[in-house]
Amino acid sequence: MNRLNRYLNPIDRLGQGENSYLFPIIANIALWVLSEFYAYSIAHNPLIIGVYIIFLNVAFIIYFSFRDGIFGGLISAVAAILYYFYIIYTRHYSGAQLVAGIDTTIELGLIYILLALIIGWLKQTIDKLIGREANERIWLQTILEQMAVGVIITDNKGKVVQTNKQLEYILGIKVPPGFVMGEDKPAFKSTGNNMQVAPAQSPLAQALKSNKPVVGKEFDFHRKDGKKVTVQVNASLIKNKKKKVIAAASIITDITQQKELERQKDDFLSMASHELKTPITSLKMFIDLQRQQLNEKNSQKAHYFNERIHDQANRLKELTNDLLDVSRIQTNKLRFNREEFDMADVIQDTVEGLQATTQKHEIVIKGIDGEKVYGDRYRIYQVLVNLISNAIKYSPTGKKISVQAKKDKEYVVVSVKDNGIGISKAQQNKIFERLYQVTDPDVKTFPGLGLGLYISKVIIERHKGKIWVESAKGKGSTFYFSLPLYQKEHKTEV
Amino acid sequence: MNKKILVVDDDKDIIEPLAMILEAKGFKVETITKGKLVYSKIVSFKPDLLLLDILMSGTDGREICKKLKADKKTKNLTVVMMSAHPSAKKDSEDVGADDFIAKPFETEELLAMLHKYMSK
Repeated sequence: MNRLNRYLNPIDRLGQGENSYLFPIIANIALWVLSEFYAYSIAHNPLIIGVYIIFLNVAFIIYFSFRDGIFGGLISAVAAILYYFYIIYTRHYSGAQLVAGIDTTIELGLIYILLALIIGWLKQTIDKLIGREANERIWLQTILEQMAVGVIITDNKGKVVQTNKQLEYILGIKVPPGFVMGEDKPAFKSTGNNMQVAPAQSPLAQALKSNKPVVGKEFDFHRKDGKKVTVQVNASLIKNKKKKVIAAASIITDITQQKELERQKDDFLSMASHELKTPITSLKMFIDLQRQQLNEKNSQKAHYFNERIHDQANRLKELTNDLLDVSRIQTNKLRFNREEFDMADVIQDTVEGLQATTQKHEIVIKGIDGEKVYGDRYRIYQVLVNLISNAIKYSPTGKKISVQAKKDKEYVVVSVKDNGIGISKAQQNKIFERLYQVTDPDVKTFPGLGLGLYISKVIIERHKGKIWVESAKGKGSTFYFSLPLYQKEHKTEV
Repeated sequence: MNKKILVVDDDKDIIEPLAMILEAKGFKVETITKGKLVYSKIVSFKPDLLLLDILMSGTDGREICKKLKADKKTKNLTVVMMSAHPSAKKDSEDVGADDFIAKPFETEELLAMLHKYMSK
């Protein structure tokens, strides 16, 4: 029934662009045959059907020109004219009757053709307009699908007309066409989503209600898949030339990552300022004490204070070096001075140097394969210092820290083992990330910027080596890094 | 009798010069680096003022202050909190500390603050 309606109803066919010519031809022939049958078999007087015929022809011309455009109308008009001539000749008119018949036919024919042209032209113009609108929609949809933001377009009552796939991706739910944004009912309940914004509170509904655009509203909600998402929503009204609101559009931007980065940056800045201020506080106090001692000429104490000022200045220097290294990495400006050197020497130097800084810990070398490697001696030293310092820092109760170097095929693998607080599996993936610092609810904070392992990782990887950790919570950690052994071809490397 | 100050900070590099400065000014000073020891130290040392760092490894200084201010016996002990953390001033007010000094501070500024409470 629906298909029949779509075939016969000219309004349903508007904008479809499927005009047929066969149907008007067949319909007109059928009309012709039926008229002849009526004239000879039912009415018994073929002359009296003229008025009906004219009426039916006009109806056909209007119908087909509206259904199939100018051509459909012209087919009906020409069919009618041909039929009239057929009648004139088959009914054996004579003299004046014949002349009047031909005159009438020509006059009617002109009117028919004019009618077909006008209605057909109107129909084709409407078709074109509808087609253009449909094209614009396809353009719009294609553009919407390529956007990185979610889009909802509604009519002026808040009923959803168009959305894009990104919207579904960001919200984790479908907003089906026909969904009304202004209705005061729990949002998207049927999908099992606990979105905290009811459609009536959505910026889009608010914009429609207040007749003003809504800009930069932020919402947090838990998606169905458990992810917490922060979105920024803008809503604007679409007005026609007469300033009447005809639709509304809302843009939904996923700013979760941006927020997370902002939070990380804020955390880092506050930590960095804390870390930098601590040695400055200490320095200032020592300088004040020094000043006092110099006034009293107590040279032994003054010497001690000098040493402490020196230490604290070093602590500041190391912090700023770390910050500088990260900035170099970020801007791709970290350079290495590669040379052939003995891993054993570097380990020996580092262990000796760091043992002097702690009495609680015993740093032992468990065996070194005296292997030569090719790389930046200072940077590898920096990695080793970082790993052993971490081992000291994260084993607050002291005990043994062992360092080992072992040859493994074309690599030397260096390990630093402690008996400290350990690192949970979940944290192990993150510790080499920038700005990440191991936290422990029992021990709370550890000083430092959380940049050391990140810098170490970059250094080792740029030396074509690997860095990794084996650890369990509460059971200590062992950090490893591997470096390629020195090969003759290294010499030719630039 | 010398007024007594208990200094709590997890950083030895702060504690050491701070104690020296305070002792030079005639205060009797004891220092601890572990927050959880603070309660027993208060009982044994009976300080007139507690100089307490906010962000410490182990027990949080804010928790300590809150606890001391909630306890009848220690309620009247003057607590001055110190921190290098930018948002710490508000925290110290929230937990009922008597005063706050931001690191890095001027020695004179700290001494002036301590004198204000000690002359009471």
